[in-house]
Amino acid sequence: MCKEPENVPGRSKTKISIIGAGPAGLAAAGFLACKGYSITMYDKQPLAGGLMVFAIPKIRIRDETVFVGVDELRDKFGIEFKLATKVFADPTPRKDEGEELVKENLPLKEIIEKSDAVMITTGTWRSRRLGLPGEDGPGVLSALDFLYAIRLYEKGLTSHKPRIGRRVVVIGAGLSAVDAAMEAWDRGAQEVIIAYRRTIKQAPAGVYEINQLIRKGIKWIELASPLEIIRENGVVKAIKLQRMRLGEPDASGRPRPIPIPGSEFTLEADTVILAVGELATPPFEKENLGITVDRKGRIQVDQYYRTTNPKVWAAGDVVTGPSFIGNAVKTALYAAKAMHIHLSGKKLLY
Amino acid sequence: MAEEGVKGRNTFLRYIDLDKCMGCYTCQAVCDFIHDGKPYIIVYETSIGLKTPISCMHCSRAPCVEVCPTGAMTRDESGAVYVDTMKCIGCMACLYACPFGIPELDPELRVATKCDLCRPLRKQGLDPACYAMCPAEAIIYGETKEVADKIKRRKAEQLVRAKMLDYFPSA
Repeated sequence: MCKEPENVPGRSKTKISIIGAGPAGLAAAGFLACKGYSITMYDKQPLAGGLMVFAIPKIRIRDETVFVGVDELRDKFGIEFKLATKVFADPTPRKDEGEELVKENLPLKEIIEKSDAVMITTGTWRSRRLGLPGEDGPGVLSALDFLYAIRLYEKGLTSHKPRIGRRVVVIGAGLSAVDAAMEAWDRGAQEVIIAYRRTIKQAPAGVYEINQLIRKGIKWIELASPLEIIRENGVVKAIKLQRMRLGEPDASGRPRPIPIPGSEFTLEADTVILAVGELATPPFEKENLGITVDRKGRIQVDQYYRTTNPKVWAAGDVVTGPSFIGNAVKTALYAAKAMHIHLSGKKLLY
Repeated sequence: MAEEGVKGRNTFLRYIDLDKCMGCYTCQAVCDFIHDGKPYIIVYETSIGLKTPISCMHCSRAPCVEVCPTGAMTRDESGAVYVDTMKCIGCMACLYACPFGIPELDPELRVATKCDLCRPLRKQGLDPACYAMCPAEAIIYGETKEVADKIKRRKAEQLVRAKMLDYFPSA
């Protein structure tokens, strides 16, 4: 967004901490670095990039594309990256996904105290579970866990080869479901089935993405919802589902799936991937340090992306819930601008 | 016009690779931010569900430039088509002429607006923001020849991979 930081004398004394170096955090960092602030970024992963680098298949986003920007932020704009570092308010951090490589925990309070302003862009690193009988245990994992393990192995960050499975059933039809199904298929699973409780028309990933998978050979079962994971001696053998029909629109505006009694059926499977949505993961358990969250655990912000703690702004998925990279980038850029206006006292917003 | 010959030549080209685009809206987001809430590259979800960003093609023989009665629709040194707002009368003849429906009327300034390939950024030696920010490398931008070469290189990779699949299914 700029070639060199604006040379504003004294400005670099203003310290900004950004927690989470995914698309939102990096976009905010880019804008703020141009304004000459001194910035420290924290991320729990050993590399910056967030889900772009640690979940989304490299066929969609190459790591190098992200790292070019990250290197520039570090080398040209002097941004300090504290990686493999999980920031959390409570002394015992909540266990989220993708934390195998965390080396250090830092208290949020300390970071807020030593910074002039803080931006929270910690995204959605927790997956929804369904609470089905047989769900807990090996062979059933979230799309995020599945994709994360592949990304780590690919980068040589772990020697642990990810288990792909031979007969894989993916539950859900969002972008995580699509990416998980695609990886399972490309990495040699014999059969990959996506099961979704509504129809292809309602699939959050879009008709096109689903059709692309079907063309590859992945099976698509719509109007089916899981009931139970069937295990034998602890090992996943099958998944029991039931047929659904579409009813009147629900709160989300989409037709409500209604179970059809007596329509149960089973699919043979050794791996079940749950891709039924991710949840916001703010760096605290519940309301903390004056920062409030909504019913879904998303950080509450005003129209300028400022949280209820006057020193803290938030943007990206941790505010909006799971969304597109563009949406994370957009909210973060506007949040960064609001933060800059506040810090530079250019215009009175409040 | 004497300078038309020099100014009219496209030395730079932006190409959107739909095979690479994943419809993540990053181009639209950054364009929106730069233009205070008014993006000039917009991602549309089409009837088959494929998303595609729509923006000015900066045509080499641009009908909007041809049809503009006041010479407001013009080209810069690199060939990017832009609106000289001082000359624009907001008649929108450019919109009628454009095969892609690109020019829009700015209701406040009452002039036509459109993508100028980030003229202010390019003046500083930077690249257009959509190109710089696209995480999927779906937007290719550069000197016309370089872009042409890059596109063909990508297609070559795709063709080879399609061919290889017959022999090595795991390739």
